[in-house]
Amino acid sequence: MKKILALLLVLAMALSLVACGSSKKEEPAAADSADAIADEMTSSDGKYEVAFITDVGQLKDKSFNQGTYDGVKLYAANAGKSYKYYQPAGGDQSTDDDRYDAMKLAVDNGAKVVVCAGFMQGTALEKAAKEFTDVKFIFIDGWAMGMPNVAGVCFQEEQCGYLAGYAAVMEGYTKLGFCGGGGGTNAACDRYGYGFVQGADAAAAAKGVKVEMNYSWLYGSSFQASNELQTMAAGWYQNGTEVIFACGGSMFQSIAAAASAEDGKVIGVDVDQSFESPTVITSAMKGIGEAAQQALKAAETEDSWKTFIGDGNASIVLGAAQNAVGLPTATWSLTGWTVDQYNTMLSDIVAGKVTVDGSDVPEPASTANVTMNIVK
Amino acid sequence: MTFLIQQTLLYAVPLMIVALAGVFAERSGIINLALEGIMIFGAFVGVLFVHTMQSVPLFLNAARSGNWLTLQGLELLAMLVAAALGAVFSLLLSFASINLRADQTIGGTALNLMAPALVLFLIRILVNQNTLMMKTGDAASWFMLKKSTFGIDKSTNIGFLGETFLNKVYLATYICILVFVVLSIVLYKTRFGLRLRACGENPQAADSLGINVYKMRYAGTTISGALAGMGGFVYALTTANCTANGDVAGFGFLALAVMIFGNWKPLNIAGASLLFGLFKCIAAAYSSIDLNGDGVFLLAELGISSHLYRMLPYLVTLAVLAFTSKKSRAPKAEGIPYDKGSR
Repeated sequence: MKKILALLLVLAMALSLVACGSSKKEEPAAADSADAIADEMTSSDGKYEVAFITDVGQLKDKSFNQGTYDGVKLYAANAGKSYKYYQPAGGDQSTDDDRYDAMKLAVDNGAKVVVCAGFMQGTALEKAAKEFTDVKFIFIDGWAMGMPNVAGVCFQEEQCGYLAGYAAVMEGYTKLGFCGGGGGTNAACDRYGYGFVQGADAAAAAKGVKVEMNYSWLYGSSFQASNELQTMAAGWYQNGTEVIFACGGSMFQSIAAAASAEDGKVIGVDVDQSFESPTVITSAMKGIGEAAQQALKAAETEDSWKTFIGDGNASIVLGAAQNAVGLPTATWSLTGWTVDQYNTMLSDIVAGKVTVDGSDVPEPASTANVTMNIVK
Repeated sequence: MTFLIQQTLLYAVPLMIVALAGVFAERSGIINLALEGIMIFGAFVGVLFVHTMQSVPLFLNAARSGNWLTLQGLELLAMLVAAALGAVFSLLLSFASINLRADQTIGGTALNLMAPALVLFLIRILVNQNTLMMKTGDAASWFMLKKSTFGIDKSTNIGFLGETFLNKVYLATYICILVFVVLSIVLYKTRFGLRLRACGENPQAADSLGINVYKMRYAGTTISGALAGMGGFVYALTTANCTANGDVAGFGFLALAVMIFGNWKPLNIAGASLLFGLFKCIAAAYSSIDLNGDGVFLLAELGISSHLYRMLPYLVTLAVLAFTSKKSRAPKAEGIPYDKGSR
C-alpha cells in the first residue's frame, strides 16, 4: 500500500513538472506595445537572432532591464526576427564568467546581434566580442571598446536627473532624498544623482528657497528591494523628507512601499514609473528601449552599422539633444512646473544655455542652496 | 519613538511567531531546523494567494472604494492559507523524522535547501521572473491600517498610543501577537500542552501513561509548520512589500537562535525577539532615529560607521547567547526518534 502511494506521488510530481515545462509556441507579431509581445518566443529553427543579456536584477524590474528589453522586443517583433533573453547565472552575484557564459550561449543559439545592458558587463563583453568577431554587440550604458563589432551607447543621465531635481523643487518640495543603486560605483547612477543635486540647486536659487537632501548609496549595491532599504526610506519620510529619487531598478519597490505607508512621494528612474505606484510624481527617463531599437536597426546592414558606430573608438552619447533623456510629459502630474516650462528648459539644455556637469561625483558636496546629508 | 516602536514590531513579530513555531516542535521532541524553509514556502504561498485574489472583482473593488474590512479579510485569508500550506510542507519533516525515524537535523536541512529552489522554480514558471509581486498596488495601500482608513484626518493627533498602535500598522502584527499569547497558554495551561511537553522530555514515560507519542509529535510539528508558514507570509507582507523571492533574509535561522536564547520559553522569546528587532531597526534607520523628538539624530551624529550598526543585531545575539547558553536547557528528548521498543 505504502509503495503504491509513494509511486503515485512520484508520478504526480513528474507529471506536474512535465505540465509546467511545456510552453506555448508563439510567433512574433508586429505590435506597437511592448507589453503585448511575449517575453519568450519559440523560433521554428531553434535559433535566436537577437539576444538580450540582462544586467543584475531581474528582467521584469519595471525599469532598466525591462525598458531595454521592451526595445529589443519591439524591434524584433516588427522586423520579424527571433529574439531571446538571457539572465547570467548567479543572480545579483553574477561574475564576469557568468556573463560571458550567457553571451556565449546566446551566440551558440544563433545570435547575430547581442544587446548587453549595464556597464558591469564590460569585461565579459570585451572577451566575447574579441572571440565572436562576426557577431555585433550593443553595449547599453557602456562605452566604445575600439572594436568594429561593439557599439557602446551611453546617456547623459545628469540631464534628466537635473530636470527631475528642478521639477521637484519647483513643485514646492524642499526636503528631498536620493537612494541610488550600485553603491556609488555605477557611473550612470552617479550622474543621475549629481544632476539631481544640480537641478535642485538651480531651482532653489530661482525660487529663493533652501533645500535639504538626504543622499545615500546604502542597501543598493545589488539594485534589489530589501527590508532595510524600506525601513531607511520610511525613516526619512517620517523625518520630513517629502520626495525620494529611487535611482536603481527593483529598489523602487522598497521606496514606493515606504512612500505609500508614510504618504511620501517618489521620483522614478529610467522609464516612466507612474504606472507602478500612485506615489510617483515624475520619472527621470532615458531612452534605453529607443536606443536599443535604433542600434538594432543600424545592425541590420554593414553600412548602417559603420555609420552608427564610426570607427568604434567613440561611445555613442545620447542626451537631450538626441531626445533621449527627459521627463514623461504624457503622464505629467506636476502643477508647480508646467510642461511648457519643462520644454523651455529642455531646449535650453539642448541649446547649451543650461549646462549640467556630467562628471562622476558619487558624493556631491553641499551647494549654496542645497544642504547635503550623505547617509553612509 | 513611535517610528522606533513600529519598526521594531515589524521585525520582531515574525521572529517571535516563528520562534514559537520552533518551540512547539522541539517541545514535542522534534528539532525543526526547517523553519527557514517553511517560512520561505509560506511567504510564497501567501503572496501567491494575494496575487491571485487581486484579480477577483470583490477585492479589486474593495481596494478602489477603500472598503478596508474586506481587504483585512483578504489579509487574514492569506495568513490562513500560508499557515495551512506551511503545515502541509512540514508534514514532510514529520513523516521523515517520526515514521521513518530519520535524522531530524538532516531532514530539516533538506527542506531548507528544497524550499528556496522549489519556490524560485515555481515563481519563474508563474511570472517569468525572480520575484513574485502583488498584481497591482503595494502592501501599504492595500493592507495597512492608517488614520485615513478609519476616516480620521491625517493631521489630527490621536495621542501617543493611537499614533503608535493604530496608525500605519498591519492587522497581521496584532493577530500574530494574539496567536502567540493563546498558544503560549495552550502550551502551559492545558492538558494537550502538558502532554506535548512530556513527549519532548520523556516520551517513554508519556507512552506508558497511554499518550500516543507519534500523534503528539505530529501535532507539535504541524502546529510548528503552520506558525512558520504564517510567520513567513507576515514577514513578506510587512517588511518586503508583499513580495516573495525565495528568501526571508535568514529570519528562520534567527528564529532558531531566538528560541534558544529565549530558553524555549514564550515570554523570554518575546523579549529576545523585541531586542533583536530593535537592533535590526536601529541598523537600518539609525540615521533618522530621533529618540526624544528634539531634532537631533544622536545615533547619526556619534559618527560610528554604519557597518557597525548593521553588525549590531548579530553581535548582540552572539553576546547574549554566550551569557545565557549555560543556563539554557533544551527539551531532553529532542532530536531522538521515538522507538517504542527502546527504554
